[in-house]
Amino acid sequence: MRLRNPGDGREFTVELLSHQNNSAKVRIDGRELHAGVDPLPDGGAMLSVGAGRMRTYAIRRGDSILIAIGPYQFELIMLEGRAARAVHQFAAPEVVAPMPGKVLEVLVKEGDQVEAGQPLLVMEAMKMETTLAAEGRAIVGKVRVAAGQMVGHGDVLIELTPAASPSPSESAPPDP
Amino acid sequence: MAWRGLKKLLIANRGEIALRIIRSARLMGLKTVAVYSDADAGSAHAAAADEARLIGPAEAALSYLNIEAIIAAAKSSGADAIHPGYGFLSERPEFARAVKKAGIIFVGPSAEVMAALGDKLAARRLAAQIGVPTVPGSEIAGADAARSFAGQAGFPILIKAVAGGGGRGMRVVADQSQLDAALEAAAREAKAAFGDGRIFLEKYLARPRHVEVQVMGDEHGKLVALGERECSIQRRHQKIIEESPAPGLPDATRERMIEAAIRLARAAGYRSAGTVEFLVEGNDFYFLEVNARLQVEHPVTELRFGCDLVAEQLRIAAGEHVTEPRAPRGAAIECRIYAEDAARDFWPATGRVEHLNLPAGPGVRVDTHLRPGTPISAYYDGLLVKVISAGETREDARRRMVLALGEFALLGVTNTAAFLRDVVDSSAFAEAKLTTGFLHNFFPSWQPPEHGLEAALIAAVLVADGAFSPASRPSDSQPAHDARSPWDDLKGFNLWSRR
Repeated sequence: MRLRNPGDGREFTVELLSHQNNSAKVRIDGRELHAGVDPLPDGGAMLSVGAGRMRTYAIRRGDSILIAIGPYQFELIMLEGRAARAVHQFAAPEVVAPMPGKVLEVLVKEGDQVEAGQPLLVMEAMKMETTLAAEGRAIVGKVRVAAGQMVGHGDVLIELTPAASPSPSESAPPDP
Repeated sequence: MAWRGLKKLLIANRGEIALRIIRSARLMGLKTVAVYSDADAGSAHAAAADEARLIGPAEAALSYLNIEAIIAAAKSSGADAIHPGYGFLSERPEFARAVKKAGIIFVGPSAEVMAALGDKLAARRLAAQIGVPTVPGSEIAGADAARSFAGQAGFPILIKAVAGGGGRGMRVVADQSQLDAALEAAAREAKAAFGDGRIFLEKYLARPRHVEVQVMGDEHGKLVALGERECSIQRRHQKIIEESPAPGLPDATRERMIEAAIRLARAAGYRSAGTVEFLVEGNDFYFLEVNARLQVEHPVTELRFGCDLVAEQLRIAAGEHVTEPRAPRGAAIECRIYAEDAARDFWPATGRVEHLNLPAGPGVRVDTHLRPGTPISAYYDGLLVKVISAGETREDARRRMVLALGEFALLGVTNTAAFLRDVVDSSAFAEAKLTTGFLHNFFPSWQPPEHGLEAALIAAVLVADGAFSPASRPSDSQPAHDARSPWDDLKGFNLWSRR
C-alpha cells in the first residue's frame, strides 16, 4: 500500500510479506524489516523493531490510519481506493480548513480576483484566530461556507481557479 | 466544622479542573453540582458530581458563559457556593457580582477586587503607586497613539487585551507595516473572547522569563505566598510547561518578588487564591498582571508545599483563616498535554479518545477528564491532560517527567505528549536555559523521530491487512460484553489478537 506522511509529505510503499506467530515481515520501499508483534489484552501490541520495543495502538479513520507508538503519534494517509478523492482535494485549487473551528468572516465573494497573500477568510479554533490567504493569483469560485459556521479539518471552504494558468489541473499548489 | 451555610458547591466549569474541584469539595464534605453543555453530556465531570445540570448548547457563550443559566442551576439545586475554576467566567466581575446578589458564595476574590485587577491598566497603576516595577507600556486610544508609543519604545511591541488572559487577544508586532492590521485583529479577538475590545501596548522584552507568585488570602486580612512558579516555556504566549522553584533565580530576587506580590495583593484587598505574574530579566522583575483565580498550573505548588489549594479556597470561602504554608520541599514540574499537532505549528486537533494509557507511580500526578470514548471538539480549550512530577531535586522531577510522558499513550486525538517528552528530555531544558523564547530557540520545527515513523508504517500495514473489518469489532464478535461497555468503543487493534 502507498502511505503518505502529511507532516512532511513523504510517501512510502509498504507491503506486508508475512504475519504469523507474533512476528511480521514487512517491506518498506524495497527494504525488508522484521517486527515482533506481541498482542496486549487492551487491543494494542508491543511492537519490536530493531532494538526498540514500543507499546503500539492503531486505528483506521476514514482514509487515514492513526497510530500511537508510545506517546508518539502518526497519521498516515492511504493513497489508494477511497483515498484518491482526498488526494485530488489536496491537488485541487481549493481553500481547505487547516483545523476544525468556526468561520468568523468570509472576505471574498464568487467572481472576485485575488492576489497571492490576500486574506480570504478568517476562522477561529479554540479562541485563536487564523487568517487563510490565497497562495497565488486566482478567481474565487464557489464560497461554500458562511460566517458563524462550524467546519471540520479538511473541509473545503472556498473554491479557486488560478487566474494565471490556462488549466487549473496543471497548476496544483504544493502540498500544505 | 462550623461552615457558614456551605454544604453544596456548584462547579461552573468543565474538563479536568471541574473534576479536580469536585474531588476537593468531597474531601471537605460538600455535595457537588456539575453543569454541562449538550456537547458534554456523559462527560467525566458531569458523571463525577452528585448532581449534574444541563445549562445550554455546545457553544460556550450559551452554556459555560451563560451567567443566568448557571445561577438558575445553582438555585434549583440548592447550591450555596459556586467555584468558577479557571477560564470561562472565572475572572468576570459581573459573574461574581451576580452570584453574590443571588445569595450564593463565590469561591474567589470579590467582584470589586476582580474588576480592579482584571483591568490590566488599573492593576499596573496600582502596582506603580506602591512601588512595584512594571513593563514600560501605554494606554492607547487608537492607531495614532499606538504609532507614537511604538515610535518611542521601538518595535517589536506587544498588543494586549485589557480584559485578556491566557495569551488570548495578545499579538507581537514586529514593524510598522503590521501595526494597523494587528491592532484591529487584537481588538476583535479581545471583543469576541472577553466582551471587551479595549487593548493596550507594552514594550516587548527580548529575553524575559515568566515567573509568578502564588498568593492566598482570607477575609480577615491575612495573606500568604506559596513560592513561585517558572512558566517561561510557552507557545502562542500560552504556558505548556511550568515548574517550581524557578531554576537559578537568585534568592534575593525571589524574596523581593514574593514581597512585592504580597504587597500588591494586600493593596488590592485580595482574598482566595491568586497569582501575581512577573517578567524577569537578569535580576530585574516587572509586574505583569494578577490572575484573580485558581490557575491551570496550581498542582506544581501543591506538590511542593504538600497542600490542597482548592480545599484551602473552600475553607476561606467558608470564613476560615488561611493556613500558614509549610516549608516547600524539592521540585515539581507540570506538562500540559493539548489537543494540538506539535509537528504542524500546534494546530488544534479534534477527535475521540480511542485508547488511553496514563502514567502513574511515585511522584507522578495526572489530572485529566479523558476516558476511552471521550470526544474532543473544537468548542472548548484543548487541554487534555496535566502530568505533574515531583522529586527531591529538579533533576529528579525532570527525569520522572520524561519517564511518565514515555508511558503516556493516547490514540485518536493528535496531542503534544511526545513533543513535551522530547522537550523535557533535552539538554536545553536540563540546563534550564529558560526564556519565553525557549521553544522558538530550541524546538523551532519538532518532528517525531524517524524510527518511530518506521514503526508506524509497520503498524499501518498490519491494520490495513484487513483484520480491522467491522466483523472483528468487539461488539460484533464478543457478545459476552455489556451492551454499553466502554470497551465497545475501542474499535481498534484486535488484529493482533487474531489466532
